[in-house]
Amino acid sequence: MKKWLIFILISPVGLLAQAGLKRDSLLMQGDTVVVTANRSERKLGNITVPITIVNAKLIQQSGSLRLTDILKEQPGLNMTSGFGAGVQLQGLNPDYTIILINGEPLVGRTAGVLDLNRIALGNIKKIEIVKGPSSSLYGSEAMAGVINIITESDANIPLQASLRYGTYETFDASLNNAIATKSVFYQGFYNYYSTNGYSIRPNSNSRVTTPIGRYTLNQQLKYKLTENTNIAIGLRLTDEKVTNDISVSNGGNTINSTGKEHNTDQNINVYLNHRFNNSLKTSFRTYYTNYNAKQDLNTISGVPYYDLLNHLFKRVENQTDWNVNKQVNLIFGAGSVWEGVKSTRYDSEKVRKNNITQYAFTQVEWNPLQKLILIGGIRYDKNESFASAFSPKLSTLIKISQQQKIKFSIGQGFKAPDFRQMYLDFTNAAAGGYSVFGTAQAQQVIGQLSSLGQIGTLYDSYYQLKTLKPEYSTGMHLSWEYEPSLNSFLSVQLFRNDISNLIQVQQVGAYVSGAQIFSYLNVGRAFTQGIELEIKQKLSSSFTVSSAYQYLETGDKDQIAQIKAGKVYTRDANGYSKLLALSDYVGLPNNNKHKAQLKINYYAKHGFFANFRMLYRSAWAVNNTNGNEVYDKGDEFAKGYISLHTSLGKDYQNGFSWQAGCDNISNYIDPANLPNLPGRTFYATIKYQIFHKQ
Amino acid sequence: MKKTIQSIVILVIISTGFVACTKSDSTTVMPVTAVTVKDIPADTVVGLSAQGIPITNGKYTFYSFEKNAIVPNTDSASTKWDIAFMATKIITNSGTSGTGLGGAFIYTGLFDALTTIPTDSVFKTDNAPTSYAITTGSGKGWYNYDGLTNIITPLAGRVLVIRTASGKYAKMEITSYYKGGVTLSATASDADKLNKQRYYTFRFAYQPNGTKTF
Repeated sequence: MKKWLIFILISPVGLLAQAGLKRDSLLMQGDTVVVTANRSERKLGNITVPITIVNAKLIQQSGSLRLTDILKEQPGLNMTSGFGAGVQLQGLNPDYTIILINGEPLVGRTAGVLDLNRIALGNIKKIEIVKGPSSSLYGSEAMAGVINIITESDANIPLQASLRYGTYETFDASLNNAIATKSVFYQGFYNYYSTNGYSIRPNSNSRVTTPIGRYTLNQQLKYKLTENTNIAIGLRLTDEKVTNDISVSNGGNTINSTGKEHNTDQNINVYLNHRFNNSLKTSFRTYYTNYNAKQDLNTISGVPYYDLLNHLFKRVENQTDWNVNKQVNLIFGAGSVWEGVKSTRYDSEKVRKNNITQYAFTQVEWNPLQKLILIGGIRYDKNESFASAFSPKLSTLIKISQQQKIKFSIGQGFKAPDFRQMYLDFTNAAAGGYSVFGTAQAQQVIGQLSSLGQIGTLYDSYYQLKTLKPEYSTGMHLSWEYEPSLNSFLSVQLFRNDISNLIQVQQVGAYVSGAQIFSYLNVGRAFTQGIELEIKQKLSSSFTVSSAYQYLETGDKDQIAQIKAGKVYTRDANGYSKLLALSDYVGLPNNNKHKAQLKINYYAKHGFFANFRMLYRSAWAVNNTNGNEVYDKGDEFAKGYISLHTSLGKDYQNGFSWQAGCDNISNYIDPANLPNLPGRTFYATIKYQIFHKQ
Repeated sequence: MKKTIQSIVILVIISTGFVACTKSDSTTVMPVTAVTVKDIPADTVVGLSAQGIPITNGKYTFYSFEKNAIVPNTDSASTKWDIAFMATKIITNSGTSGTGLGGAFIYTGLFDALTTIPTDSVFKTDNAPTSYAITTGSGKGWYNYDGLTNIITPLAGRVLVIRTASGKYAKMEITSYYKGGVTLSATASDADKLNKQRYYTFRFAYQPNGTKTF
């Protein structure tokens, strides 16, 4: 049993790389195993890139149910609203962060956003967040970073049931169990979540969060075929039904629609793992996922509205880990992805649009000195529909002393154009009849419309339409970590991301009626840069305080060039035009300069815990109101705000535990800009471990 | 050193005299002052149809710079008006729109900085429905339309340079498209977005002497 566990848990490579910290320090435990940073198990003390680990205990004590709940409390991350709750990482939009469950990507994004409310947290062992371009290991989408959700994979979990009830009739029930024997590991997880939703907008029947019922089922089975070979099968299903009662505004007039939305997400993976000897192991992985979103609405005028998105993703991959000698570790792998999307928003919902990607990657980890680790990696993605991408990355860790570490990494990330950007064929009859056409067919469709005499004007941008290229980022991260004692931790991180080839929606023409026609072009250049600070201090055996702060600057490089050239105007208090000064430029929308958090945790010996969390976000630009196309100090901002959260509970010896909490204690709401933040909510949870061993 | 200062002083005196001379050459130098006009309705919403579609009268509001007043619709076929507004569309008394000597072009820059219309400027005339002297469309002419918030915002740094029906010149800067000259918030109510729209606030300067200087 033990031996098998070790095989699963710690690679032989990891065992050899024990040179680092052995101390069980405050919250950054040097021995914690990390899998995301290197695509292979490594000790946290030896990780060369910026990483945040959120463990199950923290998730549970924060009272988090869905992935969104816990991510919003992490340094450097912001939640966005619109097309579900997405995550913004170091100022980069949700499109640019890949979301993995046990290393396999989730699909089914709407307008680039993956709704993180889809992911239940009840069986999560930990979440690993890697910041900085990671396409050298993970390919497309890993431009800003990687969020990997890891479920229990080795230890016994006594059968436990939990029930929670809270404000807005939010109900959550979970059943979780894991059995580990000598040759078999099984985990089963069932979750049902429902909420009646809420409306924080006065006099509106439209709920910001609509009534939802969501099931999640997760089954994992590992079987040891021989001493050195095992097979693992994982299955995850989510099924959500949303009751819609929405209002669509049409030329200032409101139309109500009611109906159902049904979203399902299936993930199946089968792995075959084999260890040849102490220094060589390989893994064959197949993965299938299918996301289906269906909206069936009836408008008040009786006109039905039907919307379908189906995203199918299949992958076959092999990865080999080779511990060449004491100083050198090597991983290499290759794979193939088959992807297809069909949607009512494309020319025909019956025809699936396909794409095939083939890729190969390798990474060399060199440990020339006890105090130095150097990693170099490269990945090549050959894409059937777009230009190929090379993604290199270099990173290093220097252990200055037992207390101090320096990390530096530089890498290139990319995001391949998505299906929507290629195939969208959407005309919004409700809002003035504007159209958006994907680049694969924009010229053809517009050409046809033109021959029918429906096109009024075509802009220069129309003639610039061509096959989209991937978007690229180059990211640099430099961090210093300092642990003066077992009770204190301090880190300072500087980061800079330069993005080129940004794909932006551009108007390419207009109908005779004047309605706009849009398509996509690789036009933008942008940057994000900033500082992240983290301080953790254990005040006594029962009190821990942790705080974090992020300073962020963003900007569109072309806009900055225009401002410097004196070509951008704004308005003064009288509404008269004046030149925009660079100092009044605020960068990209929806990015706040300052973000801070403070958390106080209390643990008592007899299983009682309590925590208090404070999150602060400074103002961010939301709307361009002063007649230029850049965001500046004269535009409309969402107000900065503080939200306060608390939770307390107790775990008893007999396997019973309870928890109660209050989120958004001060009842801060901003319906227009923070639709995902409900007012004050309360909840209570009880949990019982049925076969609890004392 | 002293000599240099002396010569600079002389140069300044000479050049000032030169400027003064050229100025006195032009016969009537009327000081042109900018006038602000508020809330000119431009086919405002008068009601809703049974299907909830906004109803308007579909009529232009005609304006004379010389009179600084609205011209009645009955004079639409005359040269009494210089420009007319209907929703975001602005026409000039030229080409297909009118019998006057009108025309216009959009100058990118600041209202006060435009003291003389550049000699190489080309005044366009209206050629409905394909082109207008004041280009229609979001981001192309004088305004930007945000499809998400349904808000029209006049572009900053745009001066509409108008040739009037009688062939004189005016410059104007539109500052608002909403009643009271307000800037509507993205979160303004649908009723406000519907009913406060189509009211122009602008400032203009009219040069009655026929020259291109303001």
